[in-house]
Amino acid sequence: MRRLSLLSAILAFTLLAASCGDDDEPVSQPAAEEPAAEPAEEPEPADDEPAAEEPSAEPEPEPAAEEPAEEPAVEEPAEDPAPEPEAVDDSVRGGTMVIALSDDPGHFNPGITTGFNVHAVTGSMFNGLVELDDNANPHPDLAQSWEVSEDSTQYTFHLAEGVRWHDGEPMTSADVKFTFENILLEYHSRTRGGLSGILESIDTPDDTTVVFNFTQPYAALLQRLNSTEAPILPKHVYEGVDDVQTAAANLTPVGTGPFKLESYDIDNEITLVRNDDYFKEGLPYLDRVVMRVIPDQNTQVLALEEGEVDYIWRVPGGEIERLRGDDSITLHGVNSGPGGGFCIPTLTFNSDREVFDDLRVRQAIAHAINRDQMLAQVIFGQGRVATGPINSQMAFAYSDDVTTYAYDVDRANALLDEAGYTSDATRFTIDLLVFSFGDFPKYGEVMRQNLAEVGIDVEVMPLDRSAFIPRVFGERDFDTNIISYCNNTDPSIGVARMYISSNIGDIPFSNGAAYVNPQIDELFDAAASTPDVARRGELYGEIQRILTAELPYVWLLETRFTAGSGANVSGLQANSGHVAETAYFEE
Amino acid sequence: MVRYTVRRLLQAVPLVFGASVVTWILIHAAPGDPIVALAGEDGDAGYYAMMRERFGLDRPLHEQFFVYLGRLVQGDLGFSYRQNRSAVGVILDQLPATLLLMVPALAIATVIGISVGTLAAARKNSTLDNSARTATLLGHAVPVFWLSQVLLLLFALRFDWFPVQGRNDARTDYEGLRAVLDVAHHMVLPVVALVTVYVPPIMRVTRAAVIENLDEMYIRAARARGQSRRRVLIRHALPNAMLPIVTVIGSQIGFMFAGSVLVETVFAWPGLGRLLLSAILARDFAIITAMLLMLSVTIILMNLITDLVYSLLDPRVRHGT
Repeated sequence: MRRLSLLSAILAFTLLAASCGDDDEPVSQPAAEEPAAEPAEEPEPADDEPAAEEPSAEPEPEPAAEEPAEEPAVEEPAEDPAPEPEAVDDSVRGGTMVIALSDDPGHFNPGITTGFNVHAVTGSMFNGLVELDDNANPHPDLAQSWEVSEDSTQYTFHLAEGVRWHDGEPMTSADVKFTFENILLEYHSRTRGGLSGILESIDTPDDTTVVFNFTQPYAALLQRLNSTEAPILPKHVYEGVDDVQTAAANLTPVGTGPFKLESYDIDNEITLVRNDDYFKEGLPYLDRVVMRVIPDQNTQVLALEEGEVDYIWRVPGGEIERLRGDDSITLHGVNSGPGGGFCIPTLTFNSDREVFDDLRVRQAIAHAINRDQMLAQVIFGQGRVATGPINSQMAFAYSDDVTTYAYDVDRANALLDEAGYTSDATRFTIDLLVFSFGDFPKYGEVMRQNLAEVGIDVEVMPLDRSAFIPRVFGERDFDTNIISYCNNTDPSIGVARMYISSNIGDIPFSNGAAYVNPQIDELFDAAASTPDVARRGELYGEIQRILTAELPYVWLLETRFTAGSGANVSGLQANSGHVAETAYFEE
Repeated sequence: MVRYTVRRLLQAVPLVFGASVVTWILIHAAPGDPIVALAGEDGDAGYYAMMRERFGLDRPLHEQFFVYLGRLVQGDLGFSYRQNRSAVGVILDQLPATLLLMVPALAIATVIGISVGTLAAARKNSTLDNSARTATLLGHAVPVFWLSQVLLLLFALRFDWFPVQGRNDARTDYEGLRAVLDVAHHMVLPVVALVTVYVPPIMRVTRAAVIENLDEMYIRAARARGQSRRRVLIRHALPNAMLPIVTVIGSQIGFMFAGSVLVETVFAWPGLGRLLLSAILARDFAIITAMLLMLSVTIILMNLITDLVYSLLDPRVRHGT
C-alpha cells in the first residue's frame, strides 16, 4: 500500500509539473530556454539602438564584387559594412570564452531543426552561404559573391576558394546542392516550408558555383541563407546515411566553421576548439569556446557578474538597469541571432467566436489595452509599442501610415455600448491563453486589469508550450491568446504565415485567428515575388493598412533583446550565428 | 531470508509493470504535443504530417500504447526526441552527476538528523530541543529555490567563497587532485541546500521515535540497573527507534534518483531532475516514462531493502512474530 501511495505521489507530481510548469520552477524561465523548442517564437529581440554598444561592428571595406558583366545583377553583395572587427593585434589571440546556454542542444545537426540551443552552438561550427547583419542585410560567408537575375528567378553564388571541412575534405558546390536537396528541404521546417514549393532545381556548373532556379520570382532568398536558416553540411558525411534525423554523425559535427567540437558533456558543457584551417584568414582569435548549460536566467546573470561566463544571450529585463551601472559588463542590443528576430507579442482573436465577429468589439479591446503599461511593467522599457504586423526595424517593409489604437477607456466603452454589450457590470467573459513561462503571464495580468476597466472579464490561462500549441492551432479551443511572433529576416518568412488563408490549420504558429481575406493573400504573394525592394515596401505598406483596419490581431509591442558580455571581450557578433568568430579578449 | 527476498522481487514485477502502464496513460492523457520540440517551427502541414508519421504520433493512442508495451517487454524504453538517442542512455549518462550531489547530501543529512534528533529527544523542551524544532520548521517552510538563491547571493556574490554554477570550472581544464577539489568546491552550495531539505524529516522522526522509546519500561529498567543516561540513550533507545528512521531515509534514497529539479536548476548542476523537467516541458515521452519507471523500480527496491534492514535490526521482524 505504501508503495502505491508513493507511486501515485510521483505521478501526481508529474502531472502537476506538466500542467503548470511554472510552479515547479518559480524562478522566471526565459522563453528561449524552453526545451528543444525553437527560436523564432519567443526570443525577444529587436532593438532600437543596435550596435550602439557593440564594440565589434566596425565598418570594413566591401569585398570586391565579382559579377560577370553579362549577367544583370540586381543585388550586389556586401554594400554595407560587414560585421567584422578591426585588425587585431596578435597579442590578444588565445583564451577560452564561456557562453551560457539555457538548455542542452541534444545534437549538433543544424540542418534538421530550428531549435535555438542547437543553432546557438552550431553557428560557431557551420557556415551558411551568407551571414546577415543586425538589419538582415546579407554579407558573404561561404559565398563570396552572388548575382540575381532581373526577374529574381535565378540566383548564382560563387563560393570561397579553399574551404575545407573540419576533417580536411574540400567543401564544394556539391555539398551545397546535397545539403539543400537531402537535408534542408526535407527536415528544416522553416526552409522546407518556405522553399520546397518554389525551388525548381539547384545546378552546380563547377566546384565553386551554385545556381538556384525558381519556378517563380522569389525576392527573399538571401534572407534565408544564413547559418541558422540554411547551414551547409558535409555531403561525404551524410551521403548514404539511413536516417539523417537520428544519424550518429549528428553528435560528431563536421563543419566549415571557425570552431570544431572537442567534447560534449550532456546538460553540462560543450567545448569547441579553434579551427586552424578556417577559410577566413586569421580568424578566429580565441583558442576555445565553452558553452555552459545554465537553465536559470538569474544564475546566468550572477555567473556573468562573477566572471564565470563571458557571454549570455539574454539579460532579463529587470536586470538591465542594474547591469548598466556595472563597468565589468557590456550590454548589447540585438535584433536577431540564432533565435530569430524582430518579434512582436501579439493578441490573437479567434474568429470562430461570435463575439469577435463585430469589428467594434475588436477595436474596443485594442483601445482598452494599455500598451505603455505593458512596455514599462512587462518588458521594462526594452522595446516600443507596435503599430502593426511588421516590426519598425524592418525598415524597407515597415509603414507607420496605418490605423492606430491609442489607450482610450472612454472610446472602448463607447464602442462596446454601440456593439450592444451595454451591461453595467460584466459585459462578457473571454479566456486568454498565454505561455506559462517568461513574460507571458505578465502580459496576461496587465490585459486582465485593462479589460476589467471596460467591463470585460478575462480569465488568464497559463499553459506550458507543449499544451498550448495543440490547443490553439489544433483544437482551436480559445477566445484569445498572446504569442510572440517574430518577423524573422523577411516579411515573407515571418509575417505572411499569420494572415494567409492557406496557413490555417494544425500547424504551429500559423494563422491562429483563422483570418481569411483573398486580397491579403494576393498582396503577400505579390510582395514575395516582386524583385524591386521599393515596390515590395509599397505592397507591405498596403498589407499593414488593411490589417490594422480589419484588426484580426492586436500587435502589442516590439520587443528588444539584450545580450550581455564581460567588458573584456571584444569583437562579438551578438546578432549573428557566428557569435565568437571574431571575438577576442582585451588585455 | 533468501526465499523472502526472491518472493518480494517476484511480487515487484507486476507492480513495476503496472506502474509503467499507469505512467504512460497519465502522460498521454495530459494535454500536450511534442511536435514542435520534435520538428521545429514554421514548417508546412505536410512536414508536420511526415514527422508525426515517422515517430508514430499519428497512430491511434491505443496502438501507440501497444507499441510501447511491446518495446517495454523487450527492455526498450524508447527513443528520446530531444536527445536523438535511446532514453536509457541519456538517463544513465546523467545519473553520476545526480548521485555525486545526492549521496553526500543525504549522508550529511542523516548524520545531522539522527544526532540532533536524538539529543533533542534526550533533552525534551530544552533550548536545544526548541531551537532544533524551530529550525526543522523553517527548513520545511523555506522554499529550496529561494534558499538556493540566497546562498548564491551571499556566498558566491557577496563573499566570493564559492562559484555560482556548474560542476566544474568552465574556463580551466584541471587534472588529478585539482580537478577533484574543483568539483568539491562547486558542490558545497548545492549540497548545503539539499541538506536543508533532507534534515527536517529525519530529525523529526528521530526525535519522536526516541522520545517514545524513552518512555518505555525497559529504559527505566536499564536506568534502574545503574546504566548511564548516555549509554541508555545510545545503546537502547536509539536502536529501538531505528525502524521509522530507516523508513524515512529509505524513501529519501528512493526519490534521490529523481534528482532535485530546483537545486539542479538554480546551481546549473547537470542532473536527472533537470532532465525530467525539460523532458516534461517538451513532452519527450520516452525520457519521462523511462525515468518514472526507474524511479518506481528504485522505490520498490528501497522498500525491499528497508524491510530487510528491519529484520536485521529487529529480531521480532526476523522471526515473524
